[in-house]
Amino acid sequence: MLNVKGLLEDIKASPYEEIVIAAPHTGVVEFAGIRPGDKVQGRSGTWKEKPGTVLAHLTREKNRKPLCAPEKGEVVEVHVELEGRFVEAGEPLAVIRHFLTRKEVIELILKKALSLFPAPEKAKYYFVPEIDQKLKVSGKRSVKLRDGMEVFIVSRMKRETVLPYTGPGGIIYSVYFHRGDNVDAGQPLIGVCPEDQLSLIQDVVTKVQSEWEEVE
Amino acid sequence: MPANKHKVLIANRGEIATRIIRACCGLGLDFVSLATAGDLASGHVSLARELGGEKALYRIESYHDANEILSVADAAGATAVHPGYGFFAEDYRFARRTAARDRPLTFIGPSWWAIRDLGDKISTKRIARSLGVPTVPGSDRPVYDELEAEELARALFAFQDEQGVESGCVLVKASAGGGGMGIEEVWNMDRFRSVFRRVRNYAKRHFNDEGVLIEQRILDFNHLEVQIVSERGGRNHVHFGTRNCSIQSLGRQKRIEVAPGFVPGEIGYYFDAAGVLEAITRNSLAMAAEVGYDSVGTWEWIVTPKGEPFLMEVNTRIQVENGVSAAIARLRGEPGVDLVSEHIRLALGEPLGYSQQDLSFEGVGVEYRIVAEDPRERFAPWAGRIERFQWAERPWLTVHSHVPRDAAYDIPMDFDPNLALAIVWGENLAQAKERGKSFLNELVLEGAAAGGGEMRSNIGFLLEKNQNILEF
Amino acid sequence: MDIDKRLRELAARLAYVNDVFGPKGGANHRLMNSRLGEFLDRRSAMDPDEQLRRLIQLEDLFAFLEKKLAAELTPMDLVRIVRHPQRVCLKDILENVYDNYTEIGGKDEFSIDPSMLIARAYFTRRVGERVVNQSVMVIGQEKGHGEEFRNGGSVKPWGNAKALHYMRVAETENIPVHSFVFTPGAYPIEDYPGAAQQIARNLYEMAALKVPVICVVSEGGSGGAEAVALADKRLMLSHGYYSVISPEGAAAIEAGLRLGQKAPPALADKCARLLKITAADNLRFGYVDRIVPEPALGARVQDYDFFKLLRGELIMATNEVVGAVKGMKLFRALAMRRGANREAFEVENIFMRWTLNAKARERLVLRRRRKYRAMSRKARLDGRSVLRRAWMAVQGAVWGINSFFRHDLLGKHRRRMQRVMEEIGAEAHLVRERVGRPVRSFLDRVSGRERLASDEARQRLTRLSRPEEGLCRPEGEWAYLSPKSREDRTVTCPNAETHGCRDLWAPDLYGEFAGVCDCCGHHFPMEYEWYLHNVFNYSPSREFNSEIESVNPLSYEGFGLKLEQAKKNSGRKSACVTFETEMQDVKAVVAVLTATFRGGTVGAAEGEKFILAAERAMSKRFPLIAYVHGTAGIRIHEGTHGVIQMPRCVMAVRRYIDAGGLYLVLYDTNSYAGPVASFLGCSPYQFAVRSSNIGFAGPGVILETTGLETPPHYQGAYQALARGHIHGVWDRREIGRNLYQALMTMGGRNLYYR
Repeated sequence: MLNVKGLLEDIKASPYEEIVIAAPHTGVVEFAGIRPGDKVQGRSGTWKEKPGTVLAHLTREKNRKPLCAPEKGEVVEVHVELEGRFVEAGEPLAVIRHFLTRKEVIELILKKALSLFPAPEKAKYYFVPEIDQKLKVSGKRSVKLRDGMEVFIVSRMKRETVLPYTGPGGIIYSVYFHRGDNVDAGQPLIGVCPEDQLSLIQDVVTKVQSEWEEVE
Repeated sequence: MPANKHKVLIANRGEIATRIIRACCGLGLDFVSLATAGDLASGHVSLARELGGEKALYRIESYHDANEILSVADAAGATAVHPGYGFFAEDYRFARRTAARDRPLTFIGPSWWAIRDLGDKISTKRIARSLGVPTVPGSDRPVYDELEAEELARALFAFQDEQGVESGCVLVKASAGGGGMGIEEVWNMDRFRSVFRRVRNYAKRHFNDEGVLIEQRILDFNHLEVQIVSERGGRNHVHFGTRNCSIQSLGRQKRIEVAPGFVPGEIGYYFDAAGVLEAITRNSLAMAAEVGYDSVGTWEWIVTPKGEPFLMEVNTRIQVENGVSAAIARLRGEPGVDLVSEHIRLALGEPLGYSQQDLSFEGVGVEYRIVAEDPRERFAPWAGRIERFQWAERPWLTVHSHVPRDAAYDIPMDFDPNLALAIVWGENLAQAKERGKSFLNELVLEGAAAGGGEMRSNIGFLLEKNQNILEF
Repeated sequence: MDIDKRLRELAARLAYVNDVFGPKGGANHRLMNSRLGEFLDRRSAMDPDEQLRRLIQLEDLFAFLEKKLAAELTPMDLVRIVRHPQRVCLKDILENVYDNYTEIGGKDEFSIDPSMLIARAYFTRRVGERVVNQSVMVIGQEKGHGEEFRNGGSVKPWGNAKALHYMRVAETENIPVHSFVFTPGAYPIEDYPGAAQQIARNLYEMAALKVPVICVVSEGGSGGAEAVALADKRLMLSHGYYSVISPEGAAAIEAGLRLGQKAPPALADKCARLLKITAADNLRFGYVDRIVPEPALGARVQDYDFFKLLRGELIMATNEVVGAVKGMKLFRALAMRRGANREAFEVENIFMRWTLNAKARERLVLRRRRKYRAMSRKARLDGRSVLRRAWMAVQGAVWGINSFFRHDLLGKHRRRMQRVMEEIGAEAHLVRERVGRPVRSFLDRVSGRERLASDEARQRLTRLSRPEEGLCRPEGEWAYLSPKSREDRTVTCPNAETHGCRDLWAPDLYGEFAGVCDCCGHHFPMEYEWYLHNVFNYSPSREFNSEIESVNPLSYEGFGLKLEQAKKNSGRKSACVTFETEMQDVKAVVAVLTATFRGGTVGAAEGEKFILAAERAMSKRFPLIAYVHGTAGIRIHEGTHGVIQMPRCVMAVRRYIDAGGLYLVLYDTNSYAGPVASFLGCSPYQFAVRSSNIGFAGPGVILETTGLETPPHYQGAYQALARGHIHGVWDRREIGRNLYQALMTMGGRNLYYR
């Protein structure tokens, strides 16, 4: 039996994640006047069409591009020493402390409760087209998995092979990878919930819903 | 070298990057090297640090992004950019941009218009035909009209029939395509129309152009190359002999390259092999002179079993296999020619300094490409960790590799799993083959996949193919 | 108890004055208020006679003060009057003006669109001994008296579709249409088929509707009004307004306001004045034919005299329209002329059947065409000299006659001959093949001609073909290069995040790539010159009517300067460029709306140039291509001079299409509002360059008027395609090829090359 309360307490002890904002590519940095302690917003709007708070601008080849906060949170560190300097790709520029939302906490706890299917090797993963379609149209939790069912396409060095699912039967409850990302070996790809445990999982969700307070 | 010293940005990775770094050092040039986050274990990174210090290496987001390369070039104060091969080597837009930007850079390669005109198969074919250089029978313009296409195909079948080809075959290609995309074979006139329409639709969807090429499909050919070298300004063209690159993996990837292209002295051919070599060399040189080609480049030919050569394409860059040509070349009788250095030196504006009479060729060079792939599984690339990679140094052997020999190396995911190029020289073909065989047999290559899978490589394939080099 | 009722009425009048004038009512309003209050206070102390006497006094005072206020009505006051819930609505008119009516397809909120009301109504007339019912189709927007479901008379696309349907029914049944305009504007949504598209369809149909259309304008809000307002006779209520945009909307634009901000009332007031929206203004411009006078402060539900007057005007107007095409009977014609300074009862005495025979119907459409063709002459500057204009008119006639001879008379004969020859040829071919083939193949075998043929074939397969074509590089080399391609900088594709596009180098992007992202295919906007030279083979010498010039016909404050600026910056005299061209040996007339000149807005000059282009294409039998580089709509600074271009241009287009031409529209960048809702949107062949937006109103206006947020790309080309508004999305680099294909395959029979 999962100790939801205990897990929640653990998360409450450090109820945030730190997001490092790194230079996506080379260029000259100008910070947008952010300071530690500033509040920033992530993407918003009905269609997530409004970008988050501008943290800095990166100018490369005479193209000045804004660098926006990916999530809501608080600035904890700014590498001001880089102001006006040329940075290489991947250079850390700032750190944002993002307080976990209810949804994220649920995902965190579910990761412990669900049966996880890990990536067997470092590669790019996709769902097979039928499942991809179903997930897109009817959403997660619409796909029932059996042991040995062909679920993934593994794309490695421009070659694609089919990967069958192994593990307990159930429905896909969470998806942990994005199309086209490289997933390291051992990282979970999906979280599966056996059908007889569905109510249990729902309990976990409601419990978190009621007990977690989002930090504004 | 000119008074104002150049600084060369190396816009590539792996084995070619290490060769360029060494060539720059040999020429007394400064250099800057690049690496992506996933590629920091590559040998070119440590070599760049070793020979150029911390400042000689910049982290970028992708080797494929011209903006990253040029932005680093400015930040590092580079004056020239070397594209290596792959990536931007044959991208005339990149070459044009380096020259046309507000802070121009010298592109180490031919002028951008040469890359453009010789980089496209249609314009290459048309240039060749306008000079009377033989090309594969078929259209030399994109065909849009179905009736015209059918007429061409019918003529091609009739032509092959007349030539005594047992079962003729016609290739239908998307004219804007490349890399084997949008090509289909037609063995029978009845099926032509449907294939033509399919390829045309494919071309329209993928390349936004309905144009289709119709050519004879030539089977059982040998793949020959002529190495051309020229100085800036497009005068003074010399050749560095021929190569034969007929031993390839399934996906038409070269695996063994040999210089020269044929050895009529050692092997009997059904046609005048020496004549063919002479003809393709002459034609390649003539074409290079005609277009004013101004760098190192390769004219690729196919030769039919009857000894008919057809020009296929021109590679407007330094090629992987440049080393085998260098291995047999003698400049004023001396060995030690380095085409990578020559490429850089000439691109930066130095005069050639020698003529064809100063060049001679001696012996046979064979290059083996050692690749982590599985020949039994349709040459599937293999990714994993290389634990040991060792060979014995020999006077007749040169190995270019970016795989560190003192530490384990994880093959990166995003690139082809090439491990090394080994170039063997022999006085004649028999000796070269023998030396190659002993090298391959002694080579130590051990590793394991993350999941515990066995190391895969093409060494067995190379050994097998080694027996029949240059036979045709 | 009569007194109570009359008191309530007075109170309502007081409230109305307050609504309309607000604080501006000032002393008059205060006086009315205090006198009414006094009366109410003292009423209990008065005897009934006294009450009645005082009441009459009070009523007189009210009437006097109302008249006084009426004399000072500002345009903005009129707007408030028209929008007041007490104003007469279409239902009131149906009740009081017609003798009987049946609403079709709706009862209150039970209607596909309660803001559009359709009714079969009739006038009962006594002719001698007989009683005759004269049927009409009543079509108009219903504002109601403030009911929410009426949506303020803002009609949705399907409401206008219903209107169109019943116009056609009226045509079938051969009865006149009485249309009533009571709308602040169309409801700006893009749902099937989209506000703009539907209005365009309505206009296109009305342009040649073969029954008399009489229109009455109370509240004429731009595009929404035009959906039912293209009429043979346009009456306007004296307190109505007819405008290109609501004064508040104009003020918001004037002040450069962002979403959700309100313009100051003073600015709206000023705009209402500048836009010249009153009945008197529009009569002066010639956009309405008569003004129907209303009571002092506007017609309200209980103004029965007004209804009677309106009835007379309607009958009279219908009679006039019918009479003009019917071949007038002498006495009634005289009577009608006298009726021009009419008494309502006199009008009732003139009876005329409103059904038309086929000839009269043709004449009706012709007259309507002429009427609109002659409009808005003063709102543009025609730089052509009198001689030149006369010459061009003659030229037009000559082209027409020439085309007639070349293509109709001689062409018909030639075509017939051609067909005969074709038939003969085909027969001969068959015979030759049947008989000749065995013989020929034998001969070939004997003479070795086969070898010769294969030598030829060999040559063809190995020698350079068509040396004159050079290298045949696949990438386009453009005749015109954008100035943007000369800057060394990079540009980020808007789809970079979703499609992983890399930054594009401007010289590549705006040069070789023709402004198209090589990764995702996003089209960056290009200058219109790019299309002129790279698609339309433009040459300045073949441009025509470039002397027709945009002016400031309303003397709109500050606009003259802006216009001068636009002319200076663009080097053009209007937003419309018209020229003849030849594309792969097909000649065509091209009209371009350039976004760089005042946002590509359409005013009187642009409308006229467009019409002249359509006429030229018609008389020369050329295809007509409208390339819309971008248009923000009708030019608001020209007021109704701009709006009237919607029906005017549609009529020209309709005439051209009916004559058997090919009218093709190509949208680029952003095309919105009036032009899309009329002469562009009515084309049967509309295409859009990828990444363009087409719609009725921008997202900001939609949010403002409907409160609906629109998703990204709501007006994108692919959305417009999905809605059936446009008929294809074209890649910029292929426009030339697609156009040629279209010229070959689309359009009517009367093109010179058919």
